Amino acid sequence: MKQRKFRTALGVIFSTFEMTLRQNVIDSFILFTILVQPILIALLAIWMLRDQAANHAIFIVIGSGMTGLWSSLLFVSGNSINVERWIGTLESLVASPSPLPWVILGKNLAHVTQSLVSMILSYFLAALIFNLELDIVNPGVFIGSLMLTIVAFVCFGAIIAPIFVMNPGVQGFQNAMEFPVYILCGFLFPIAMLPEWTTPLSYALSPYWAARALHGTSSGALDLPEVLFSWLMLVLFSVGSALLSAFLFRVMLRKARREATLGLE
Amino acid sequence: MIKHIRLFFQGALLSYKALFRWLRPVTYLASKIIMPLNQILFFTFLGMYASGQQNASFYIIGNAVQMAAISGIYGVTMSIGGDRWEGTLPYLFGTPSNRLVLFFGRGFFHILDGFLGVWIGLFLGVILLGLDLSAANFPALLLIILVTTFSTSGLGLLLGCLSLITRNVMFVNNTVYFLLLIFAGANVPIETLPSWMRSISYALPLTRGISTTRAAVAGETGSVIMPVLSQEFLIGLGYMLLGFILFRWFEQAAKRRGTLEAM
Amino acid sequence: MNSIEVEHLKRIYTTTIGVIKRTKKEVVAVDDLSFSIPKGELFGLLGPNGAGKTTTIKMLTTLLIPTAGAARIEGYDIVEDARKVRSSIGFIFGGERGLYWRLSAADNLRYFSSLYFVDPEVSRKRIPYLLELVGLKDRAREKVEGYSRGMKQRLHIARTLLHDPDILFLDEPTIGLDPVGARELRQVVRGLHSEGKTILLTTHYMFEADELCERIAVINKGKLVALDSPQGLKKHVEDMNVLEIEVFGIQQDRIESIRSLPLTNSVSVIDRDQRQLLQIHSPSGSEILPQIMAVLGDQPTGRVALREPTLEDAYVRLVKEEA
Repeated sequence: MKQRKFRTALGVIFSTFEMTLRQNVIDSFILFTILVQPILIALLAIWMLRDQAANHAIFIVIGSGMTGLWSSLLFVSGNSINVERWIGTLESLVASPSPLPWVILGKNLAHVTQSLVSMILSYFLAALIFNLELDIVNPGVFIGSLMLTIVAFVCFGAIIAPIFVMNPGVQGFQNAMEFPVYILCGFLFPIAMLPEWTTPLSYALSPYWAARALHGTSSGALDLPEVLFSWLMLVLFSVGSALLSAFLFRVMLRKARREATLGLE
Repeated sequence: MIKHIRLFFQGALLSYKALFRWLRPVTYLASKIIMPLNQILFFTFLGMYASGQQNASFYIIGNAVQMAAISGIYGVTMSIGGDRWEGTLPYLFGTPSNRLVLFFGRGFFHILDGFLGVWIGLFLGVILLGLDLSAANFPALLLIILVTTFSTSGLGLLLGCLSLITRNVMFVNNTVYFLLLIFAGANVPIETLPSWMRSISYALPLTRGISTTRAAVAGETGSVIMPVLSQEFLIGLGYMLLGFILFRWFEQAAKRRGTLEAM
Repeated sequence: MNSIEVEHLKRIYTTTIGVIKRTKKEVVAVDDLSFSIPKGELFGLLGPNGAGKTTTIKMLTTLLIPTAGAARIEGYDIVEDARKVRSSIGFIFGGERGLYWRLSAADNLRYFSSLYFVDPEVSRKRIPYLLELVGLKDRAREKVEGYSRGMKQRLHIARTLLHDPDILFLDEPTIGLDPVGARELRQVVRGLHSEGKTILLTTHYMFEADELCERIAVINKGKLVALDSPQGLKKHVEDMNVLEIEVFGIQQDRIESIRSLPLTNSVSVIDRDQRQLLQIHSPSGSEILPQIMAVLGDQPTGRVALREPTLEDAYVRLVKEEA
């Protein structure tokens, strides 16, 4: 029974994943946030860091890719429930026997996948146009870090979406939350540059651990125990996010059904 | 004459109010302070990582002045594009009032808004990142920032006209804003760009605004600054006129094809 | 066990008015509503705008939590066992929303199939069948955003049948459809009914309710006003059977004879120049007509007209009574 439930969950997640990808391909807002902006940031960073570019190219590619991942999480995954409400399909989703969290997981997976495409594009941009060295020192461990990053981000998105639904005021601060994470999580420069009191904030953000793992394994700067520690943090954050999001969804759906806010009337 | 002045302010105030009526004061304030802060912090740290702590002011100033482009581009194009969504564009096109006045009225309040934005950026740079304005040429600074907000509004008006023919105006705005970030010299010394890129930089507003601001903060005199600044002013004027011509052209085209509502 | 049981269902909407001094305003949308629908019945919900029909359906389809009262669908509580309810019902709210307009009809159906856990083998056959049923086969690959309102409505119908639910909630299903499309839809509904499905239908069109429903609940201002078969409801207005007979120079005693007939409620005579118009109120105009013609005998008669009461008459009377 459990196995069947797991398979149906995967079925719903996958079909949502596919459906979302298909819809997003033509959305200009999403195209900009997920594709164009990270590449422009990559270009800017490559130029700014050009004196160290040879050693830093992979750092820039990953760092700008992470900015894309975060922006996508914030603006696209964060809005995933609200968007359904705006286009009028939220009621259809809630009234179906599939739990809403499964649908949102599928959507988040699609968004994260799209962001990774931009990371790959920046990679080729840097390699082909700028002729930069782009070796990944530890490919195996890097892939592992990438997998955990995907999981962590998908789960994180599952927290943000219900929060944005329940507190529409929070959405006003979406723009305000974009750059601070770039800064605090060390995407394009090490957090050692920041004042010390911000370090606990960095540690409390899962993107920090993802960036740390990805940067460390691509440049070889981290040794194995440190990499594993980052992995542990990512796993903890993922589990914690998943549990929290299950709770938040339950609360959000109860509230929406009580206050009649599933539709737009 | 009085009628024109009245029209100017009416049009400007109306477009400004219409745009921001859905924006709560808290959100507006947040965007006016938090967004500049974020951008300045991010690029300054990145810049310091790239070229050392001593160059912080280069990045702080560059990004603070770039704030002019936020009001200039986003604010202005939304004013024009906003007509389209609100459905008031036909009325705008149809009025017998002096269209030049109405057109410029739209840009006016955003110029003031942008002016404020840059000063907030500089202020944040001073109190949070230790920007040193002790040697600055303040009268020049005031003039530069005013001219720069004017010139970016010119670009905004031109882009605003584009918003009348495409639904993807935000895509265009965001891309232009980021391109400015690359070309206008906020984070990259123009001299280091390849020559073909440099020619683009010099054809854009904001470029000279940023460079003269850096000069003014360093204490340069008016005689050094003014020649460059007047170029900035002329560029802004050029974009504004271009925008106006485009606006008229779209108006004629739309009237001819009867697509005003659908536009 | 009844398919649908509604017990004292109540739903209050609270809104706050004012920005500085916020006052709460409560609107009772559904007030102490109770009814049961046995398996396989085609049940109608009739009422003016704002009567609470859509609110009731939204509660029964688990999209709203009632303020008080309870309801069970196939024995499952709509609040506690929402997931089980959702598997066994289908619904249409219709209109422009509820579909992914960037996807094609076929893609929409495929996606909803997965949401309803329909076996892929089954949906592969069922989707083309449903598209054919609602007449969208030829345009199945076009994006929904290009569809007319009627086409979207038909796609909604296909969507709701994907998992072959036993219970259907149809909220104004023919609204926005042209007469031919509406007739086809009613045909589909009749077909579903004959398959044994339980159907709760709301509609504005009286003739539709009259034609399709076995029983109808009339609600107004959230309260149940009447619950009966269409025939039963029309009995409320049986006095509205009006037989109008034009006569030329009728004598008083003939009028008295007509008055004394057992089926006559009342007779009024309207003078019109050379003629009189007899208006006879009777519970059954068609039964009394031959009796009256017998009484009139060789009396010359002109136009004879019979107005039978419609469901609309009954409905208007019922709703007005409550108000």
